[in-house]
This record gives sequence, C-alpha cells and structure tokens, in this order.
Amino acid sequence: MGMTAVEKVLARKTGRASLQPGEVVYPDPDFIMIHDGLVRGAKRELDSLGIDRLARPDKVVMVTDHEVIYGSPRAAEFGVINRNAAKAWGVKQFFDVGRGGHGHIFPMESGMLLPGMFYFDNDRHSTNAGAIGAFGFRIGAEISRVLATGTNWVTVPATLRLVLKGKLGRGVYARDVGFYLARLIRQGTIPFEMDYRALEFAGDLDSFDLAERAALCNSPTELGAYGVFFPPSERILAFARERAQHAFAPIYPDPDASYEKQATLAIDGIEPQVALPGEIQTSVDISEAVGQPIDHAFIGSCGSGMYEDLATAASFLKGRRVAPNVRLFVAPGSERTTRRMAADGLLNVLVEAGAILLPAGCGPCNDAVVGPLHAGEVSISTASNSNAGRFGSKQARLFLGSPATVAASAVAGAIADPRGA
Amino acid sequence: MAGTKDFPWLLKGRCYKLGHNVSHAGGVIPDRLITGREMDPQKLIPHLFEESDPGFHQRARAGDIIVTGRNFGMGPKMNGYIAMQALGLGLICESMPYLAYRAAIGCGLRVLTDCHNVTELCETGDEIEVDFQSGQFINRTRDIRKEYPPLPEALQEIVALGGNTGWLKQWWSASKQGAGA
Repeated sequence: MGMTAVEKVLARKTGRASLQPGEVVYPDPDFIMIHDGLVRGAKRELDSLGIDRLARPDKVVMVTDHEVIYGSPRAAEFGVINRNAAKAWGVKQFFDVGRGGHGHIFPMESGMLLPGMFYFDNDRHSTNAGAIGAFGFRIGAEISRVLATGTNWVTVPATLRLVLKGKLGRGVYARDVGFYLARLIRQGTIPFEMDYRALEFAGDLDSFDLAERAALCNSPTELGAYGVFFPPSERILAFARERAQHAFAPIYPDPDASYEKQATLAIDGIEPQVALPGEIQTSVDISEAVGQPIDHAFIGSCGSGMYEDLATAASFLKGRRVAPNVRLFVAPGSERTTRRMAADGLLNVLVEAGAILLPAGCGPCNDAVVGPLHAGEVSISTASNSNAGRFGSKQARLFLGSPATVAASAVAGAIADPRGA
Repeated sequence: MAGTKDFPWLLKGRCYKLGHNVSHAGGVIPDRLITGREMDPQKLIPHLFEESDPGFHQRARAGDIIVTGRNFGMGPKMNGYIAMQALGLGLICESMPYLAYRAAIGCGLRVLTDCHNVTELCETGDEIEVDFQSGQFINRTRDIRKEYPPLPEALQEIVALGGNTGWLKQWWSASKQGAGA
C-alpha cells in the first residue's frame, strides 16, 4: 500500500518504512519555530523545571512577527524577554524586529523551508509550508517539549485529496477558491471533515504559483486542517533550488496512496468571493456583498502577504486614491518583499494611493495589536479569518476577500467587484 | 521513564452527561478565565461548568466521569481540563476535535474519545466505571458493558505523570541522572 504525502514525510522523519493514520510517532524535525508571543511562556516553563539547555539550539528559529511594532509597554517587555531567551538558549537563528518578517512566509522565500521538509511550530498557520511541498505541524504551548527534547508526539493524520479542475476566471484568485471551498464543505457539497486532516491538492495546479498555493493553504486551516500539501511543480522546485540553504529531497504521494476521501472541485466558474463576518464558511458571491460601505481595509497576513499578492493589490491602486473615509493598511509578508517593492516602485504606488505601510509580519491579524477597529466599524481584509473580535471590537464587522477585492474596495469606499475596477 | 502500571486508570463514580457541540469557552469554563490565561487549578475549579450548572464543583466527587456527545470542548484550550484533572474526574466523549483531545492529555486528564454513542448508554447520576487503559466502560446502574478505544499506550505516560509539565520534569530528572552515570 502506498503512502500519502504526510505519511511519507513522517515516515522519512521517523526512519520508518511505512506509517498508518492514527499511529503516534516522534518525528525528528528539520527545524523548530517559535514566534514572539510564546517565548515567555516556554522560557518560564523550562526555567521552572531547571531545564537550562535546548536539545538542538541550532535547529531553533525564533521569529518576531506577531507584534513587530511595540504598541504597548508589555510588547516592549516581551521584546527584551525574547532577546534574553535567544541569548540564554544559544539560538542563532533569531529573526527579531525588522530581520525577517512573517514566519510562515519568509522561510520559503529565503530557502530555509524547502520541499520535503517537516518542522514543528507553535502556530497553526504553519500549514503554509504546504505551498512549497513541506509540512509544518502546530504544537501550541507544547513547543516547550520540542525545545527541550527535540521532538514531541504526533498522531499521523488521515489524508483528504481535492482535485482542482479548470482555470480561474479574470479577477478571481486563490483566496476566492479557498472561501468557496469552505462554503462547499459547510454545505456538504464536498463531504470533507477537516478536523486534524491533511489536505492534498491535485489536478490543474500549474497555474498556481507559490503565493497562490500559500493562499490556498489558508482556508483549510481555518476549517481545522492540520496540514495542507501541494505536490511541488517544476517551477516550485526551480524556485527552491535557486535559494536553497540546504540539500533537499521533495516528496510526492504514491499513486496507490490511500485517502480517507477524495473530491473534485471545478474552478472555472467561481466568482470572486466575500466571506461575511463570523467565519469563512459564510462566503458569498461578491454580487451579494457589493456596495457595503467600509471604514477599514487590510492587505497582508499569512494567506495574502507574498510579493505577488501585493503586486496584484497595487495594480488596482495604481493612479487611484484610497477613498476618503477608508484607512488601508498593508503588511508585506517579509522584509525581502518590502525591499523588492521599494526597488521596483510598487511601494510608491501604495504610498501614492494613500495606503499605510506596516512592517513585515502579521499586521492587525494578530489580535489587532496595530490598526484595530472600533465598535460599529466595518472592515474588508485578506486576514486569515473574520471571527468577531479579531480586529479589536467584537462589535466591528469583518469581511474577507482576495487582495484584488480588498484593494478595489478600499478605492471605492465600499465592497467592490475587482472585475469592474 | 516512569511506569504507568501503578496509576489509577480505573475510575468508579457517577455519570455527568452533556450533549453535543459543547464549546470550551462558556460551555466548560467562562471565557474570561481562558482569555485571562488562568492556569491555577484552585482558581479554575469553582468555575467549572459554572455557566450551565453553578455549584457543580461542590457536588462533584473524585472518580466521577463526564460523558459527552460529539465535538466536545471546541478550541485547543486547557483551562477546563486543568480543573477536571485537579478534581479527580474523568472524561469520555463521542468525539472531540483533535486539538481539544491533545489539550486534555497535556493536562494529565484521564480521557477517552471516539466512544461511539456512549451518551445513549448512561444518564446523569448512573454508577459507571471506566478503565482508561483498556477502554472498558461499565454502567452498573443499567448493567451495560462496552469496549471503547483505550488511551493510546504512547500517551499513557504523559497522563500518568500529570501532563506535559510532569512529563518534562521526569524526563529532565532522568536525563540528568543519565548524564551523571
């Protein structure tokens, strides 16, 4: 019996010939990522037990992305704690403020995260690794055990397979596919139970570049998927080879792999989608949301923060102005992307349009530590979800769309169809 | 590493039955304790099931077993399980989101999931017994026996040591001894 992608990578990392869903294993990760907000808790826990050394400090990657601009005394205190922890633990790969960007984006761009890899992360959007053909498993506060011992227990997830058929229409992007998929799963049209599943994409994937693949990793994660995987195309492999910091060996599912369920999604006729406030499964065709006035817009996050996402947004902002009553925030996914946009003029397009540029990282998508909303205000953004309170007030209404839809809406002052912009 | 043989895997007590889709925030413990990151068992205990059943903690006895329907404890939160563990309770569910199950194990709670239709086999107040190591369920009141998937062997050690922190403590002590030997 063949193996799915997640079974194969976990078999490789545990030295096993084969694995079955449901088995408990202890994979040896390629690296271990901890984000800024979790360091204090992990350091306190290990200190209280007298654990004063990490199993593999050389594998540990510390990233400041959730709260990059210290907007409070507490954040500044966390910054000091994080820097002291890096020093005490001997962590050299410390991407502090202004040094890397979003931990689920810049490692793919810098050749740290490569096809076929496996890593542990405290944060659940580590599923982005599937864009490049790798897996990152969310372990939450149990990252402390990974730091101390080098691994942790993992149950091998069951795998679902989704075959995409067709080609996206003009003005329709990967985020739209993700929102649409969430709606179909909620309706039962695609009969997937996503909790703790690995989702493999297959079919007509060649037109999905790295940014579009990362975007499509996002919605399944919100539905509970633990891993999302795209078999790396020749173009993805070439991208990885150009910048690889290590040797790598891509993995692909076996042709006779066993899936819990499989389904096909025709993507030809998908309209731009808008997720309504509450949860992404509530998405509607954009015609049902057009005209809703907005106060706030945000482009960025792990799902829409790559260079190509921002270039798409910029194409709708070029030569236009953000509507007078709207504040538009843009958070690039990496410092590399910010530099590239400075060099090729895209930053100027954003600034001339009146957008407010944030440092690379999560932006408002992490508990609205920057750019929050007041009760009664309305936002449209590319955030990972539209849960009440994600951008501050629980009485604010949060809509989601693709980078194109958000940019077009920011200019219009109301939710707008990018095909008419 | 520590053996799990002497750990009391068998609980005998009263059934406390809940329905489907009980969320951790509100359904198990008030949201303010979760967002406040309260992890002290003594501070959490008085608030367990407070919103649906005030005074639960005063009536609960060590050995009692919470029996739930599908999709229990939504959200990967630990606060409610810390209180259950400190009270000496057990938990068996028709299903739990994986991360909720993982959180319960991380707190050292005796827990079983995938107990198909278990809520049809008992009512609140029934005298029940659950062996978390073997998966055996017995309802003494109604004379019903059933086998469910046990706690996986690989995870028993974590529960027996009181959860993640207990496990790490034991591991560190063992690795220091190993280094000194």
